[in-house]
Amino acid sequence: MNRRIVFILVALAVIIPMLLPVSLPVSVSEPTQQLYDYIDALPAGSTIMLAFDYGPASLAELNPMARAVLRQCFDKDVRVIGFTLVADGTTLASTIMREVAEEKGAIDGEDYVFLGFRPGGTQVMLGMGSSISSVFETDYSGNTTTEIPMMEEITNYDEIALLIDLASGSTTEIWIIYTNVRYDLQIAAGVTGVIISQMYPYLQTGQLVGLIPGILGAAQYERLIDVPAKGMLWINIESFVHLLIVMLVIIGNIIFFTQRRREE
Amino acid sequence: MKRQVPLILCFAFGIVMILTQFSPHSFSQGIYEEVISWTLIISPFALVLATATLIQTHVARIQRRTDHWQYSFVVFVGLITMVVIGVPFGPQHQAFEWLYTNIQVPMDATMFSLLAFFIASAAFRAFRARTFEASLLLITALIVMMGNVPVGDLIWNTVLGWLPLEDGASKARQWILNNPNLSARRGIILGVSLGVISQSIRIILGIERSYLGGGD
Repeated sequence: MNRRIVFILVALAVIIPMLLPVSLPVSVSEPTQQLYDYIDALPAGSTIMLAFDYGPASLAELNPMARAVLRQCFDKDVRVIGFTLVADGTTLASTIMREVAEEKGAIDGEDYVFLGFRPGGTQVMLGMGSSISSVFETDYSGNTTTEIPMMEEITNYDEIALLIDLASGSTTEIWIIYTNVRYDLQIAAGVTGVIISQMYPYLQTGQLVGLIPGILGAAQYERLIDVPAKGMLWINIESFVHLLIVMLVIIGNIIFFTQRRREE
Repeated sequence: MKRQVPLILCFAFGIVMILTQFSPHSFSQGIYEEVISWTLIISPFALVLATATLIQTHVARIQRRTDHWQYSFVVFVGLITMVVIGVPFGPQHQAFEWLYTNIQVPMDATMFSLLAFFIASAAFRAFRARTFEASLLLITALIVMMGNVPVGDLIWNTVLGWLPLEDGASKARQWILNNPNLSARRGIILGVSLGVISQSIRIILGIERSYLGGGD
């Protein structure tokens, strides 16, 4: 089969479900449920950290997760400290936090704060273990961190109930190695489809309290908070693309075995 | 001297930072926190270095008229535009946000989205059950792919609804991730960790010197 035909079939598998009102039932997996339950059990007034460790290339999978988690947190009166270790993710993260906050009536500086980006990766993680304000002296808007109302009682990870790393790379493993082990910080993750399998050893050991696996996880989370959004829409599209790839693999193998039999 | 000073610094900081991990004393922790602040100050210089390297590379491309050298001008236009708007007005400026949202985001997302087309094409042309191992990989991949989307369970419940197992596709995927995948990953993690430890010791003791450049 010509490569162009495969490309056209993939394009159709993406476009057609977008135009049709397809809604497939989504069952919630255990790792997603664990994260939802963990946040649900947090007392009002708790603070979590949300690390937007991804750039625009992975926004299709990770933005719906970020929105779903933020909606649950603001509904539960759980305060959120957002930041990113990826320079490309700064505007993306700031926009998402602002939009969900506006939707839920959350107030900047009281219910959430976005600290922005700092270079350094591991050093930023370790530095915040001593003092968050020593790493982020100001928030993204330029306000002094120690003067922000919700940050007045927060010094370091001791006051953080959970860190959720939304990642398209290896940052989750680094967060676990440097902050879970050293500072006993509870960590959960939302990751792109390609790195889901890497997270399972940490789920089993309890070093991850929950996991949102790819766009499927985003759809599952949207179902849990009962706000269907882009996660639900995109998992339907992905269903058709996966189905197409499976069919292509089967057809490819049928052709392969038929040709081999003829040659024999 | 050019090589001995970095080796001595690496040895001294390596040993001191290891020792701070074993001592909760305030003096030890003070050193640890001080060194972390130093590294936080050093980190941004990597960005400066990266920008300088980028400029150097593309200037050289234009000078040598290498293949597609004209695109290097696009790099400079992008870099200069974002710096001219971002540095004086900040990343929250309307123009900066507009350029990010309407140029960088769609371009980045498009590049990544192209993977779907290439994966589909590659899967069709190369994913063959030629051997037992390849067949095992193929079957596992198909189960995980179908279990990773709701249509997998829909097909399972419709076609294999007579079986006592509901949502079999996602349950099979979960089993694969929880058992064979987890075991293999743990083995890899242990191997990599031991490698990292031995490599770190080699660097601290000055046996491994490739980070200094020069090839030895």
